[in-house]
Amino acid sequence: MTIPYHLTKAEKAPLLLEKLNALTELHFERSSEYRSMIEKGGYPTTANNLEEVPYLPVQLFKLMDLVSVPKEEVIKVLTSSGTTGQQVSKIYLDKETSFAQTKTLVEVMKPLLGGKRLPMIILDTKSVLNDRKSFSARGAGILGFSNFGRKHFYALNDDMSLDVEGLKAYLDEYKGQRILLFGFTFMIWQYVYRESLKQGINLDFGDSILIHGGGWKKLKDEAVDSTTFNRLLHDQLGIREVHNYYGMVEQVGSIFVECSNGHLHTPQFADVIIRDTLTFEPLPNGQQGLIQVLSELPKSYPGHSLLTEDLGTIKGEDDCPCGWKGKFFTVAGRIPKAELRGCSDTFQGGKRV
Amino acid sequence: MKLFWPKDIGFDQAVELMRSKDTFTPFDEEVLLFTKALSKSLVRMRQMPEVVALGYWLRKANIQDMKKKWEEQNKDRLIKPRGIVFHIAPSNVDTIFVYSWMLSLLAGNRNIIRISSKEQKNELLDLILTEIAKPEFENIAKQTIICTYNYEENIGEQISEICHTRVIWGGNDTVKTIRQIPLNPMANELAFPDRFSLAALSAEAVMNMNDNDLDELLEKFYNDVFWFDQMACSSPRLVVWCGKQIEKAKSRFWSAFENKIQKKQYELTAASQVLKYTTSLWLATESEVKHIENSKYFSRIQVTDLPLEARERHCGGGLFYEYEIESLPNLSKVILDKDQTLAYFGFTHSELELLVNSISSRGLDRIVPIGQALNFDGVWDGQSFLKSFTREVVIL
Repeated sequence: MTIPYHLTKAEKAPLLLEKLNALTELHFERSSEYRSMIEKGGYPTTANNLEEVPYLPVQLFKLMDLVSVPKEEVIKVLTSSGTTGQQVSKIYLDKETSFAQTKTLVEVMKPLLGGKRLPMIILDTKSVLNDRKSFSARGAGILGFSNFGRKHFYALNDDMSLDVEGLKAYLDEYKGQRILLFGFTFMIWQYVYRESLKQGINLDFGDSILIHGGGWKKLKDEAVDSTTFNRLLHDQLGIREVHNYYGMVEQVGSIFVECSNGHLHTPQFADVIIRDTLTFEPLPNGQQGLIQVLSELPKSYPGHSLLTEDLGTIKGEDDCPCGWKGKFFTVAGRIPKAELRGCSDTFQGGKRV
Repeated sequence: MKLFWPKDIGFDQAVELMRSKDTFTPFDEEVLLFTKALSKSLVRMRQMPEVVALGYWLRKANIQDMKKKWEEQNKDRLIKPRGIVFHIAPSNVDTIFVYSWMLSLLAGNRNIIRISSKEQKNELLDLILTEIAKPEFENIAKQTIICTYNYEENIGEQISEICHTRVIWGGNDTVKTIRQIPLNPMANELAFPDRFSLAALSAEAVMNMNDNDLDELLEKFYNDVFWFDQMACSSPRLVVWCGKQIEKAKSRFWSAFENKIQKKQYELTAASQVLKYTTSLWLATESEVKHIENSKYFSRIQVTDLPLEARERHCGGGLFYEYEIESLPNLSKVILDKDQTLAYFGFTHSELELLVNSISSRGLDRIVPIGQALNFDGVWDGQSFLKSFTREVVIL
């Protein structure tokens, strides 16, 4: 039995449903915007099953502020990573939700990382953490995962160059120990893997475990999938154990992490539903569709049930060979952008064409 | 800068060439032959209905009609073209530049057209370039420049300096940006900013029609809405219901419309579905929105008012605001400056006239039967092209 991946469908669904219904109710009472959406859309506040829980599209957090606590209780604002000119999501956290996220993340990662803090290398720059009140997705991820490590070392200088000397010294110091590596998929690929390849730097990360997330969008263009990624990182940097995770700034804490078989798993606090891309009807396991994510954590903003713009497939439930229970799934990437263009588009996307 | 026409010479040379020729007189014989030839090849583009519509508009009978009306209006007047007309075309409704250009050409002008550089392949343009290269259209060819350029290149500045009329298609941002470019003091300007359009239906008329007639109406409504994914400025986005049997009429109309869209195999995408869903929820937070309903082919938003901001949040792709009134003149209080086309069904001419007379804003420039919302006309946004593209010389 591996907590929090120990509940079977029959055990998990009623527990999670009860919590999600309570959250729908809570946000309905505390957020007038959320209440308007539920009321005017005719969505149920008490769902009979997980599929019935109303879901908000993640895009909505880019268009408006959605918050279910008084402004003075907000202690952190998380923002999604967006390219310049794009609107970013703003996620408002109070003490309780922020604490629950930290605590849950520990439980989600415990089966992989154990209970002891490991020496930790963050494959990013320290400067992403500069602002303590407003965090980007990268900053929030780093901060969340920092709790699993000690003696944090940032492998990238502020100009994104690899701190080779520092890295070597750190690896020397902790030789023979298990080291935790953490970073964002694309950053690792671009600034660690490629740089070390280019400069002919041979590093051996020894008995390390790499946790990475943030999406494959940019790597897809280079036709790098997770198998290739893992192999190349092993060959170039000696990293032996790699786990990708799927999560988003709109639901920090209840992330989905890869098991030893390379499947993303749902812990007891969270779930995924795959929906038809056109009708949003729930799809059976094995079929690809839009990923809806459910989490029992968000209390300060109505984000407990979200329709993402990612495509995924549920591979099975409760029967992954790794022994963990719950749904396990894969993510295929983002849906293509809408191409509807108005009369007003002589200039597109801020760039003059 | 990329010059699509003329070929093999530079921009400055092309301008010189253009000026070496006399301008045409309005409705010149060569121009009439050109529009006829173009019409013939455009109507063959069956897979692109908007191009066929353009070809149909350019057909001989329609142009002759236009000519006749123009001659009647200008009897005993001395009318000359303005000179060089600079057209800045939008990037989505790519037939627009042809309408704009053709009207200017019929008026007798030389034309410089800036088209969007985005599309790699432009079948419409290819077809036009084939026609204009024919020897019988030599004079038109010499007086036409079709190009694209980046705004950093200052070509827009050069053309604005030498043109006599500037036509800006492409929405508020484009109009604002281009207006910062100084225009030849002698020139006039036509600007086409963002607009909003609606449809009004008499509930009684919808209830009184038989299934065949309803199907025909929906066919037309479908074209008005979906040819440009509801993103053209004249595509209806608000549906106004008028009368006493509104609930019944709505349910009859929308369920039949759903079947229609399904039969048409309108292509939905995940992104537009998510966008409609998102927009509807966003709108739900506004007090004037009463109810939202998302279904596969369209989203319906019931409103008690429609402020400018809600109009601007519209995302296209099958999102409909719905508003109810008891009688047509009641519609006047929600009409704003931005409103352009009203596509109607089930109203008499005098009812429509009464409506227009009770509107106190700048709103509504076109009132057309459902099915003609996208039909381009020589009068657009309240302005007559042939008038703006010509000047009258007075001899006393």
